[in-house]
Amino acid sequence: MPRFSWNSLKHFWQIHLTVALCTAVATGVLAGALIVGDSVRGSLRSLTTERLGAIQHALLADHFFQPDLLQRENKVPAILLNGTIVAPQTQTRASKVNIAGVTDDFFTFWQEDTAPNLDKAPEQPFNAIVINAALQNELNVQVGDMLLVNMSQAADIHPEFLLGERDAANAIQSLRLVISDIIPTENFGRFSLQANQSLPFNAFIALPVLQKALGQADKVNAVFTADTDAFSADDLELTLAALDLNIKMHENRLDLQSDQYLLKPILSETALTVASENRIPTLPTLTYLANTMTVNDNAIPYSTIIALPTGEGEFAELVNNHTTEADRLAYQQADDQGLKKIVAEKREEQKKLRSEIDKIEKEVNSLQKTKRALGDTTAYKQQVAEVKRKLAKVGSALNAINARSKPDEIHLNKWAAEDLDASVGDIIEVTYYSVSTDEAYITETALFRLKGILPIEGITADRDIIPEFPGIHDTNDMSDWESPFPIDYTLVRDKDETYWDEYGATPKAFIPLESGKRLWKNRFGDLTAIRLGTAPDTDIQATRTRFETEFLKKIQPEQVGFQFLFPQADGLQASAGATDFGMLFGSLSGFIIIAVALLVAMLFRVGVEQRSREIGILQAIGYPLAKIRRRFLYEGAAVAGIGSLLGCLLAVGYAELMIFGLQTWWLPAIGTPFMELHVNPISLLSGVLIALAVVVISIRVTVEQLGRTPTTALLAGETDFAEVTLKPQTQRVESSKLLSVAKIIAGVLVAIIFAVFVFFDEWFSDTFGIWVEDPILDFIIFTSSVIGIGWDAFSRWLKSQRIPKQFNRIRFALKNAARQPSRSKTCVTTISLACCIIVAVGANRHDAPPETEYAFVAESALPLHHSLNTPDGKFELGFSEKDTELLSESEIFPFRVLPGEDVSCLNLYQPQKPQILGAPATMLDESPWNHTRVVQPEGGRAPAIGDINSLRWILHHNPDDDFIVQDEFGKPLRLELETIENSLFQSQLILSEANFTKYFPSQSGYQFFLIKTPPELREETAQVLEKTLGDYGFDLTSASERLASYRAVENTYISTFQSLGGLGVLLGTFGLALILFRNIIERRGELATLRAFGFRRQLLSRMLFLESCFLLAVGMFIGIVAGLVAILGSQGHLPSFPWVSLTITLLFIFGFGIIANAIAVAVALRSPLLSTLKSE
Amino acid sequence: MLRNVSLSLTGGTSVVITGPSGSGKSTLLHIIGTLEEPSNGIVEINDINPFTLSEPELAAYRNSVIGFVFQEHHLLPQYSVLENVLIPTLAFKRGADATERAVQLLKRVGLTDRQSHRPAELSGGERQRVAIARALINQPDILLCDEPTGNLDTATTDTVANLLFELHRAEKTLLIVVTHNLSLTSRFDRHLQLVDGTCTIERDG
Repeated sequence: MPRFSWNSLKHFWQIHLTVALCTAVATGVLAGALIVGDSVRGSLRSLTTERLGAIQHALLADHFFQPDLLQRENKVPAILLNGTIVAPQTQTRASKVNIAGVTDDFFTFWQEDTAPNLDKAPEQPFNAIVINAALQNELNVQVGDMLLVNMSQAADIHPEFLLGERDAANAIQSLRLVISDIIPTENFGRFSLQANQSLPFNAFIALPVLQKALGQADKVNAVFTADTDAFSADDLELTLAALDLNIKMHENRLDLQSDQYLLKPILSETALTVASENRIPTLPTLTYLANTMTVNDNAIPYSTIIALPTGEGEFAELVNNHTTEADRLAYQQADDQGLKKIVAEKREEQKKLRSEIDKIEKEVNSLQKTKRALGDTTAYKQQVAEVKRKLAKVGSALNAINARSKPDEIHLNKWAAEDLDASVGDIIEVTYYSVSTDEAYITETALFRLKGILPIEGITADRDIIPEFPGIHDTNDMSDWESPFPIDYTLVRDKDETYWDEYGATPKAFIPLESGKRLWKNRFGDLTAIRLGTAPDTDIQATRTRFETEFLKKIQPEQVGFQFLFPQADGLQASAGATDFGMLFGSLSGFIIIAVALLVAMLFRVGVEQRSREIGILQAIGYPLAKIRRRFLYEGAAVAGIGSLLGCLLAVGYAELMIFGLQTWWLPAIGTPFMELHVNPISLLSGVLIALAVVVISIRVTVEQLGRTPTTALLAGETDFAEVTLKPQTQRVESSKLLSVAKIIAGVLVAIIFAVFVFFDEWFSDTFGIWVEDPILDFIIFTSSVIGIGWDAFSRWLKSQRIPKQFNRIRFALKNAARQPSRSKTCVTTISLACCIIVAVGANRHDAPPETEYAFVAESALPLHHSLNTPDGKFELGFSEKDTELLSESEIFPFRVLPGEDVSCLNLYQPQKPQILGAPATMLDESPWNHTRVVQPEGGRAPAIGDINSLRWILHHNPDDDFIVQDEFGKPLRLELETIENSLFQSQLILSEANFTKYFPSQSGYQFFLIKTPPELREETAQVLEKTLGDYGFDLTSASERLASYRAVENTYISTFQSLGGLGVLLGTFGLALILFRNIIERRGELATLRAFGFRRQLLSRMLFLESCFLLAVGMFIGIVAGLVAILGSQGHLPSFPWVSLTITLLFIFGFGIIANAIAVAVALRSPLLSTLKSE
Repeated sequence: MLRNVSLSLTGGTSVVITGPSGSGKSTLLHIIGTLEEPSNGIVEINDINPFTLSEPELAAYRNSVIGFVFQEHHLLPQYSVLENVLIPTLAFKRGADATERAVQLLKRVGLTDRQSHRPAELSGGERQRVAIARALINQPDILLCDEPTGNLDTATTDTVANLLFELHRAEKTLLIVVTHNLSLTSRFDRHLQLVDGTCTIERDG
């Protein structure tokens, strides 16, 4: 038997070779796709190892700390900052530079022989900086060149707090350094904690140099280790100093204060809890600076006011001792009268508002009529938005009225009362600064009613209770104050200076703690100090020790800005990739595999048909049919096996080609050419086995049909495959009836699904609470349905025995397709699959340049603390008057930024920590942005916006579910998502600014901007912004270019898919030409008969050509319709359709098919036909 | 293959050519049918030497003057019986609709109720009857049959032969049949025998 098989293999080598080649193509495409996936993953893994070296674990902090806090051996401390670098010689600038302050130990994480030279050269006036080649290219500099490095100045007090430093000159730390070495952008030259394949700009500075420049001697903000044991909270020994806290110790009390002026809420809450648990008496206070305190026309400038629990302790005692009954009575009367007046005013204003509300109610009623008349149109939506705006306005006015209450009580010290000539019951007007959301100083006013006048003694004379303001506390005169906020020194009188000399910052006014919190509480805290008394049965020292120990035990490092990271493990996990290229290419290769299976089945059938006499003889000499089938199956399997081995080579070649494509033609898909071939034997084997299985199954199905023709007929040369259409059909009636019923049911089901997806999707999801959209599933359902329907209709046409009125040449030619129906159907199916992919994928291509209402997207490396929309802000940022005027033509939307990973298709890694933006209130009027307005009171859940494609494909997240991130305090924050599509925000998730500052309070300033500028001013505006804000690393990108970069990735994927579609078309056309050729050979007798009847050779060629073009056209038609329906079904609408590119592609396919057919006809008709007619 | 073959045949007669395999019977038939050009000698049909015609003229000539019935009926399986009969009419565009004649011919060969059937659904004899109808569709002057009953059993052979003669008489064609079946020879007007390429007249009507 094997010898027979071998001989058969040899004898029918042509057909076997084709089967083997088809198997090789299937294996190559499938295994190749899997190898591409492996290569992307492998390359990302290599990149992770390269950029991190041996670094396994890291401790990062949002502030500087002593590395000794971490009780671990084998640790390497460093400072990591973001900044910009300017090269004065070449007038170039690079932003988003990773600036690392490191020691030589840092470089030992990489197995390099030498660390770069970070030492200052003796002949150089400046310290050294080492940059990587990517940065060198950007700056066009050489070793020895001087660079100006700009970083955010490290500050204890948050820049957005009243006392924080926001002045551009003081907020940015500039450092002059000389390039001592340029390292390649590999190994430590590629160091980055961010999982992203793009080349980082890295600059290294000696750690002590950076520490000194930042004023953070011996402190760092990062520690790394190569140990396999992760850093943990247990390793970190926190101290009060590390938390920026200090305790001032007095004889019988302790003052807990913060270097940040305000005590962080988590710290003050913990301190109060610990004190309460240990029965330590507490006095929480909030001190603020009043710009003026005025009674009638008398005013005192710049006074400290303290808010404290007025009803208890030493203060209450002091009040009791110094308040007379007459004072109490005077206060009570004045207060009552004031209250009555307010109530009357409230009534009056509420009445006015009531009429406003009535008007709005009428508008709401008319809205319902409008909806009935107009439907859910844009006009209707605009009206709804207008009514909502009015409602919001009335709502806030009502809130303001309701919030109006009687003035809070205030006590003045004797000095102030005398200076103001104030009496008990008087209204004291206090003005003070607050910082607005766009970081401007706003002067606010609060009214108080004087409740009492206190002597300056005891607690009212205690200036220790006031935390130190740097630049104020330590000055001799008020006129020497160096405050970040504006001060009008002309208001300061001699007597104020005298008070300052005598009492310093001792408060002049005292208000209840609740009143103080209501006025001055902000996201950085609501207390400035906590005074602790002595715990029972101990002395003050023991109290301090107990408090400190218990307090530090309760603080979790994650709550105070420390992060324990696992960069290596996380990086490797992220390397699994956001986009699984293996699955992507593999799934698209799926239809090529189907095409190959169909082709193989057809080829094998042709092969078996050639050998029908052989089958007849074998049957005649007594071979059982099963044995004959087995023989053919083994033969086919052997051929396929050989083919799949060949396919292994092809797979590697195909993967190489794809990788080459990704590094060159399709570079936008991966951004950086970093890929190398990684062949995983398992993928290769999987590809081989799947392809082999598909081919063997299709051979088996073919072989199973053997034995339908009687042996005698086989011996006479009839083929063994009974073509359905050529046989009587009576016995098939029953089964075909069943089949028809099944088809009708399936058709109705698909129609229902289609209707639900396209027309009633909202109704369906509203009614059943299920969102039925799954684009891939939809796509598969619709594609297969339409191709199935097309296939069925074509089969029916082929089988049709209806005689048309006209029997003409065209029908004659077209009906030839029914000569071998299964072959024709195979061709049509293959071509329709390929065309469907090309249309469906190509329809999503965006030919037209993207449009957006914004001119620019800007990002700054260092945060901006002044508004780009106000003249004051622009002045502070250094814009000239002319520039300010120019910028007034633009509308700029500033966003806050939580640094994180790009979640768009530009990042190949699977992001672990997305970048989050805080959107300004001005953006939040329209849907879906207004969704983010809601500030949830509690529960760690915030409304957010994300790009649907980024969520679905990059973060692999179901947009209907909450996305969980960690807030600044290490707590999970659930983001309740609304989705947007194809916007400029594909790289980030977005919160409202209010929620952003709530959950990430220590993130300061604005680093992301959307800019609307009239087209004619764009160039000039861009120049002005980049020039003036150069030190901040302010980089503008055209908004449409940014959109185009996202689209480029999408279009690139589409190109790769279309290339695969093209391969499918190639296979289909090859099959078509092969069928045509084979048909002509088989039909030589018939064709010769036609010649005998006077058909000219030319006419025969034309008819054969028409027949094959007909198959091509039917296949393409079904494919195009399937593609369009699939898009319509899965997306609910046809996207802006790239008619031009798609039509060109399809015409090209048709042209290619026509040429292939013409060649096949010409070759097959070359030999003489008429000799076949002789009976002798 | 053929040597010194000289024949003169007139319309309306029937001629049978017999001879052993390889004697040149089919070659003679193909030369008469203009499918093969003789290396020597002249063929004249209706005073025209068809081999002097251009390829398109020859095809048109063959289409209108000659009808063929082959041993392998060479019906096209994808077309109905009626369509198969009509196929020769498609080679050249003609004004008149040939369907009526095709239906008539099928009636005459007894296959009216099989018009819409496919060849695979017919018996061997029926298929050959369709082939005869097809050969006559263009009302040829000459009907050439190459072993028309070669693949048929005796009963069917008789039926097909009867039909051939009947139609030959009705259509007044020159009927030339090549056959091994000697039992049929007596029914023809003339009987020629070919042996090694040489023609002997056995009987001349």
